[in-house]
Amino acid sequence: LLELMENGSGCLNGSGAADSAEKAQQQQQCPAVQLSERNCEAVRVIGQYLRELGLARSAEALVLEAGCPLESGAAAQFRSSVLLGDWDGAEASLASLRRALWRESSWSEIAFRLAEQRYLELLESGAHIAALCVLRGKLTPLQFSPDRLHRLSGLIMCSGPEELRQLSGWSGAAGGTRQALLDSVEQFFPPSVMLPPKRLSVLLDQAVRAQVSRCRHHNTSLSPDQLTLLADHSCQAAASVPSVCSQVLDAHQDEVHVCQFSPNGRFLATGGRDCVAIVWLVEAAANPPGAPRVRHHLTLRIGEERGGVAWLAWSPDSRLLLACAAEEATEVIVWEAETGDCIKKLKHRDEDSLTTAAWLPDSNHFVVGGNRGHFYLCSVDVGFEKAWDFIRVVALATRREDDGGTAVLAADTFARIRRYRFDTMQDETLFREDGPVMSMSISQDETLLAVCVASAGVHLWDLRLRVCRRRLHGLTHGAYLLHASIGGPNQDFVASGSHDARVCVWHRGCQAGDGAQQHLLPDKLSGHGGLVSCVSWNPRHHGMLASASDDCTVRIWLPASLAAAALAASADGTGPGGAGFSSNGCCSSTVSKHQPPPLL
Amino acid sequence: SSEFNASYSMGRLHIEHMGGERVFSCANCDCPLTNRQQLISTRFTGATGRAFLFNRVVNLDTSELQDRVMLTGRHMVRDVSCRKCKTKLGWVYEFATEESQQYKEGKIILERALINESEGFPDPVKD
Repeated sequence: LLELMENGSGCLNGSGAADSAEKAQQQQQCPAVQLSERNCEAVRVIGQYLRELGLARSAEALVLEAGCPLESGAAAQFRSSVLLGDWDGAEASLASLRRALWRESSWSEIAFRLAEQRYLELLESGAHIAALCVLRGKLTPLQFSPDRLHRLSGLIMCSGPEELRQLSGWSGAAGGTRQALLDSVEQFFPPSVMLPPKRLSVLLDQAVRAQVSRCRHHNTSLSPDQLTLLADHSCQAAASVPSVCSQVLDAHQDEVHVCQFSPNGRFLATGGRDCVAIVWLVEAAANPPGAPRVRHHLTLRIGEERGGVAWLAWSPDSRLLLACAAEEATEVIVWEAETGDCIKKLKHRDEDSLTTAAWLPDSNHFVVGGNRGHFYLCSVDVGFEKAWDFIRVVALATRREDDGGTAVLAADTFARIRRYRFDTMQDETLFREDGPVMSMSISQDETLLAVCVASAGVHLWDLRLRVCRRRLHGLTHGAYLLHASIGGPNQDFVASGSHDARVCVWHRGCQAGDGAQQHLLPDKLSGHGGLVSCVSWNPRHHGMLASASDDCTVRIWLPASLAAAALAASADGTGPGGAGFSSNGCCSSTVSKHQPPPLL
Repeated sequence: SSEFNASYSMGRLHIEHMGGERVFSCANCDCPLTNRQQLISTRFTGATGRAFLFNRVVNLDTSELQDRVMLTGRHMVRDVSCRKCKTKLGWVYEFATEESQQYKEGKIILERALINESEGFPDPVKD
């Protein structure tokens, strides 16, 4: 006989039980439908799902019609006893289930948990004598977990149910603890006796996650349980991956070597051989909403003798822009981006070459360095503060650490990436690359490091696990410096320049079951007329990518759906000079009608 | 234009640095090349006089393969020049016809007059 109860509450309607009992008997004698074993399992899992949702009558009807009991009789008995608070009945059912356990040794744990629940409920209702009997007669003889026993006996001193609940962390008989007890017991029994908790939810979640991992252009910040079940998930390439050049910025007079979006996504800084750093404003057009465009804001000059702008770094609050010059660079300059005021020129030694820099989180301190063998901690307020000597630095980044301090990550000429703490003067080698490092870029959430290695591609290192997660190939190698950038709402996209004048875009998370090789190759964006040295993802408008090239232009790339909107809104002459998108895999993934649009 | 024009390829050169306590660099532009640890022999002669044989040198461009007869026999060599300023600095041995000369294969000759030696520093990292 099966009697299925609603979660944690209520009692059985006497007459209803008789009716359903009769029906059950009839059904079991001649079930309407013959089900295979797999189908029977499916029914059991669905029945459990319905019951968990609170649709007990539907679950009951399902079981009657299908003739598949959700679980064995004794298990059902146990379940209903616990939910009713019939502890003796529960104990009896449990005894008959003992044979079915995975491991005999778990018996004492289950019996302990059952008795513990009983004990706590008795204490809560004020029946201290009865509780004490349970403690002595049921809990102690089991000799399971003396620590827990000790804590439980201490709870007798509680003055009332409130204090009891607070001290023990147990939420009371009415707080779903009976159901929690059942959930915890389920794991000890094989599925034929008791189903593992929430089985259908688990299966659905696995299916959605598998679809997400196969999504080639996954670019949404929705979590797997927010995605629809009604169709296989796959992000539309057109909506998430940049493929169309929406703007060509040609204000520079010579090769452009650096481009960087500010952390708040409002500014773009570009610089190159013409010794000028240009600050551009990113505007998201009002209609249609979400189509970002870039327009000129300020032109900032560094001196002509400096050989060009080698690096640009935004302060974390997006207020200040720092520029490093090329080669014989003894000085770095800091401007305020909004007004263009030069607020600091920092020089330390005449023999320095300060070609790379990174800011610390306080937007006041920054580190600068080069391959002469020194890198410095400086600040906008004070200027030079501390030096670290005898390390020839190729690239710098900073990362907040667990103890609140900030580590400086530096790639050096021995292909090592090391971590330096200026406050404790501690240093440590994190990774060793197998080829010379050209540049390095950290993701916005500071978990991933993209390292461009000469003739090897882009290597992605996980900064928490300290392992190399991915090696990205497919860019064209050569003698010149390339920079990469990590972007996307989940740090899933990596872009880099290339010697063949194309921009490479990879989706790093994708693990296809078929031909996994294919998904490590990048999509390549054509349009530039010369070497593309640097790229930058906009941290706020996720599909927006900027690229800097030797053809003296900076190009803005947008996903196809956004670009169409941006083109329509363009009034000035910065229209695209022709764009092409060639992909190494399927050009457009299957589009799902029910798919909520990916967030940009 | 969408055409890729090879002559545009400039960008910022990737310059490596081998470090070391005594560093050799290009006498013309100071581009770092190699160091004392890589020096195998000082007893070679080039066009400008004395020349050194090094194991490994960075930041060099190489020419096409040339067949040359030298004092020590017939060799296949490539001329090497500074990647930064394009000054010719020496050559690299690719192939030696005589067995006794095969130890030079893959090694680089830099002419003493065309390079500078300067003070570097030891690598402080011990691990």
